[in-house]
Amino acid sequence: MNKTIIININGIVFHIEEDAYEVLKAYMTDVKRHFSSSADSLEITTDIENRIAEMFNETLANQNKQVIVETDVKLVIEQMGSVEDFESVENDEAKPAGSSTFGYNTERRRLFRDPDDHLVSGVAAGIANYFDIPAVWIRLAFALSLIFAGSGLILYIVLWIVIPKATSRADRMAMKGEKQDLKGFKKNFEDEMSMVKENLSNFRQEARPFVYKVRDFLGDFFTHLGTFLRGTGSFLGKLIGLVILLTCFGLAIALIIVFVGFVAFGKTDIYHIFPFNIVNEDTNMVFLFGGFLLLAIPLLTLILVTIGFLFKNATFNRSIGTTLLCVWLASLGAVVYYGARASADFKEGAKLSKTINIKATPNNTYYLQLNDAKYLSNEDSTRLRIKERFNGMIILDDDYNGDDFDHQDRVRIDIEKSDVTQPVLVESFTARGRTDEDALINARNISYRFIQKDSVLKFDRHLERLGRTMWRGQELHITLKVPLNAKLVIDGKLDRNLDLNLYSCLQANTPQNPAGSVYIMANEGLQCKIDTAALAAAAKADSIKNHLVPDTAKTEDQ
Amino acid sequence: MIVENTQTQMRKGILEYCILSIIAKGEIYASDIIAELKKAQLLVVEGTLYPLLTRLKNNGLLTYNWVESISGPPRKYYVLSEEGKIVLEQLDKTWQELVYAVQTAIGERK
Repeated sequence: MNKTIIININGIVFHIEEDAYEVLKAYMTDVKRHFSSSADSLEITTDIENRIAEMFNETLANQNKQVIVETDVKLVIEQMGSVEDFESVENDEAKPAGSSTFGYNTERRRLFRDPDDHLVSGVAAGIANYFDIPAVWIRLAFALSLIFAGSGLILYIVLWIVIPKATSRADRMAMKGEKQDLKGFKKNFEDEMSMVKENLSNFRQEARPFVYKVRDFLGDFFTHLGTFLRGTGSFLGKLIGLVILLTCFGLAIALIIVFVGFVAFGKTDIYHIFPFNIVNEDTNMVFLFGGFLLLAIPLLTLILVTIGFLFKNATFNRSIGTTLLCVWLASLGAVVYYGARASADFKEGAKLSKTINIKATPNNTYYLQLNDAKYLSNEDSTRLRIKERFNGMIILDDDYNGDDFDHQDRVRIDIEKSDVTQPVLVESFTARGRTDEDALINARNISYRFIQKDSVLKFDRHLERLGRTMWRGQELHITLKVPLNAKLVIDGKLDRNLDLNLYSCLQANTPQNPAGSVYIMANEGLQCKIDTAALAAAAKADSIKNHLVPDTAKTEDQ
Repeated sequence: MIVENTQTQMRKGILEYCILSIIAKGEIYASDIIAELKKAQLLVVEGTLYPLLTRLKNNGLLTYNWVESISGPPRKYYVLSEEGKIVLEQLDKTWQELVYAVQTAIGERK
């Protein structure tokens, strides 16, 4: 039983089988293209079409049948001649815009699944045929894409659904871009014959290219695996399926918990965590939801497919697949869009600088300390009713969320030598934004408190972003400039903000100062204060050691 | 390749002369022209004939009449135009000259 198509050749109606139609159509396309450069193109092709119609009519009348089949078309084409035959008789003035010499061109190819060269369903081989490259590359690309949240799997399944299988010989030739005339048929037929021969005997196995060997190996492997699984009963297969299923369920549940946790509990907290801190709170839900779907859909697909495999029911059909893919693509789009929009907010940079004079102390000694009293805004104070409930108490900034997450707001402090006796503090704020103006406003919206109480200099650990300012790469770089020979006693709690090894300096200090590590500003920069007597002793010990080493080396030589 | 090329060139030259000669015998249909050419082993496939006929017609050497057909669309029956007849006479003359030239050349070789 074959499908027939009704065609109309210059006013005469024919019933023609689908395969035959494909061949005829390809032939006519070739003919039209061949004569397209000629001024009489229409007249010539009409003549040819009319003659074909007449020949069909004669065939139907002679054989007393109603439908044109592939053989009839082939006979007609044989009588009419292929484009190559035309070319040999052409004379110079009517030279066609020769395309046949350029070998394969993809525009004539059609995308089919290749049933002759398939590992799973022939999608990869079909694509490879379309672009005329070895199928192994497409397969490799699919295998690699599995790493990215299984996106390749979804794509593969959708292509499987969408791309038709090359069933007829005409399909196969269209797929490989071969000319669909007698010559092409002959080539195709010969190919098929040689394939049958190869399958019958293994003699030529060695001569086959590497790719085919690998394919054969994989084919054998899966065949044997299949036999093995059938042999040991489908028990093992089901067990593996069950493990996959449970793993997927576990992951899905974890994902849901994380998602619900973010939505319900995290309302404010997640905005300190990358990447949520870069997105506006309003759009954050979309971002979060998109991200959730992006991960959940491949999981769901895997679950559905595994269930289908385990229980032999087709839960995963075309419409579900298409729907899931659409949703997945939409969520991917949302995540990419908001991500890109947020990253555009980092385009421009701005820098502000502020200099604060520090009152010089008579003994030229400064105590650098961490300001651990929690910063409370006016609203916070009112809300917490500080005056009534916490009167006389100090609320400490215990650096609770001072882990790795909000290191972005940390402040860096450098200490340099000042050329004048007046010590100064230079605060330089930097931030990024969509425009220069945005960046500048973001930089201005950084708040930082530095307090001097006599010889004590107190630094906040973090900068504060005022109002609803998002994290836009805000940074504060403080440079403390002190005069020569100034003595600095630095509290160990400032360790994270300074680029100094406070602990080892504290160990080197003798006697150790309970207020922190002691440094002296020298000409070449800040130096840890080391007891000169101890230093001399250490230097002496070093020199003795250094003298001893060559001596022993000498004795060894002798 | 060179042999094939020369053969093609030779055939090409006399093909038009033969077609005009066949048509000169009387009103004729394209597939009947083909039948005669096949018999003379000058042309094998029909498709090549149509461009030639169209060109000869456009050069004013041929005209055609539409004739209704029982087995398909109306057929074009070709006849020589007055100009075609003159051209054919010239070609006849040229052909006789060619035959003489070729025979002389071959004769000298033998």
